[in-house]
Amino acid sequence: MSDNGQETAVVRMENIVKRFGTVTALDGVNFTVNQQEVVALVGDNGAGKSTLIKILTGVYPPTEGHIYFEGRLVQIRSPREARALGIETVYQDLALVNLMSITRNFFLGRELVARVGPLHWLRLREMNEQTRASLRDIGIEVRSPTERVEKLSGGERQSIAIGRALHFGAKLLILDEPTSALSVAETQKVLTYTLNAKARGLSVIFITHNIHHVFLVADRYTIIRHGTLVGNYDKGELTHDDIADLITGKREA
Amino acid sequence: MFKAASRRRSATRQLLGESSITGPLMTLIVVFILCSVFVPNFLSLRSVSGIVNAATLTSVIAIGVGLLMISGEFDLSVGALVAVGGYLYAFNTMNGGSPVLAVLLALGVPAALGALNGLILIWTKIPSFIVTLGTRSIYRGALWVLSTGALVQTLEDLTIYGIFNGRLDLLNSLSPGANFRTSLVWLVGLVVVFNFVLTRTRYGNHVFAVGGNPGAAQAQGANVNRTKVLTFLIAGALAGFTGVILFSQYKSVRVTTGAGMELDAIAAAVVGGALLSGGSGSIWGTLIGGLLISTLRTGVVLLDLPFIPADNFEAVVGATIVGATLLNEWVRRRT
Repeated sequence: MSDNGQETAVVRMENIVKRFGTVTALDGVNFTVNQQEVVALVGDNGAGKSTLIKILTGVYPPTEGHIYFEGRLVQIRSPREARALGIETVYQDLALVNLMSITRNFFLGRELVARVGPLHWLRLREMNEQTRASLRDIGIEVRSPTERVEKLSGGERQSIAIGRALHFGAKLLILDEPTSALSVAETQKVLTYTLNAKARGLSVIFITHNIHHVFLVADRYTIIRHGTLVGNYDKGELTHDDIADLITGKREA
Repeated sequence: MFKAASRRRSATRQLLGESSITGPLMTLIVVFILCSVFVPNFLSLRSVSGIVNAATLTSVIAIGVGLLMISGEFDLSVGALVAVGGYLYAFNTMNGGSPVLAVLLALGVPAALGALNGLILIWTKIPSFIVTLGTRSIYRGALWVLSTGALVQTLEDLTIYGIFNGRLDLLNSLSPGANFRTSLVWLVGLVVVFNFVLTRTRYGNHVFAVGGNPGAAQAQGANVNRTKVLTFLIAGALAGFTGVILFSQYKSVRVTTGAGMELDAIAAAVVGGALLSGGSGSIWGTLIGGLLISTLRTGVVLLDLPFIPADNFEAVVGATIVGATLLNEWVRRRT
């Protein structure tokens, strides 16, 4: 945030508390993502990363706290509302339907249709062309947009989900453990697409517990542990070992 | 040349909603040729029209059951809904009733009962296989009570019976023994319409998505529950329509009418390439499945083998269903 009161944050979550019954999953966490910034949200399993993101994407309401999107106080009540704001999430398992074509996945829920009276039909040719062009734009070459997703590798699937988010005008892209099931080469590709997204003006939240994967792309690290914020660190401020120690709590901030 | 072939392949795939019918079609052709060569009296318009008529009944129901299977659900109550549709149609057409009202009721009530299956599934989260195993008996039981178990038949020869399942004289004039029915025209119309709905509309796209990965469908903004209820409703309406064409031809309906048709419909869909786990299948495949089962039945009956008596033809049909499913799986892995 700049000093002159001009809002540069895409999203600012203030003092977020989330309780499930007697369990406090998040205890007053502050989290900010600035314009065109890749923020790595890191923490061990169960640290509260997913809970924080699910609050941001409208899956859970926060128990306490406020969310500002582009400077405006917002209440995000459903994933649909999050999407309407420009928050697109690429989930690890819930991204694509494997038995459907790339195009049909790309436009799922947002199909292009032609209408005559009460009838409508899918503009498949146009959707195929847009899918191919849009993926090419961010450096993904598909053999055929009518190919079933099950034929693609894990990295290709992630990249298609990322391409889809970009195509539909995301302002903030959330990648949930995008590299956890990928080979080294594929991880590299996904990291490249992440940088491409940033180059196109997007902000990215990169959720992971593997710090090696984000070391190359993250501008900033937000580390959480046991539902509380450990700290925010700029790129270059910490070494791999420092981050690992902060995640596990071997070292206090 | 290679590129042109691959473009053509992708165009076909688009036409069929990314589901291949190569396997089912190959099986049907092979079975038909084998029957033509080895079964006496098989290759005549008389037996072909018999095969088509039986396949029509199975296939009309199987369109709805196939859609449901693609969406990842089952409906075992459709056989009972055939009887429900048949009774409503019979009662309201006989003795000078309104044919329009009769058709509306015969489609509308089974459609509503189908939708109820979907709503119970959503409210209780009990798998549809179990829900409809229950409603299958409940619907038939209610019909038993309301109809007092009476067999309903008529000798009237109404125009509407001719429209839905009269003799198709245009085709029958080709050969004296042929007995093609107008229900064939309805079947072709339904196949074309529902193939379009499945592969070319938003709803159809969501049917595939809901069956393939409900979480992803929901996350991308497809309404999973609405898609499922609508699909159950369609399956119910098509079962009711089967009751209409059954009564139009045979002019009789009883409480047990349609018993077991739900399993034939599932078999047709599976033989036609639908996955039991959802997310894949096609309407054309389902039609081929219905034709294949009907061809086999006729073939086995006409063959009259000493070790496979005609009343044991179900065993041959069963074996073919398993074989065809294996073949489909093998083809699917290769395309």
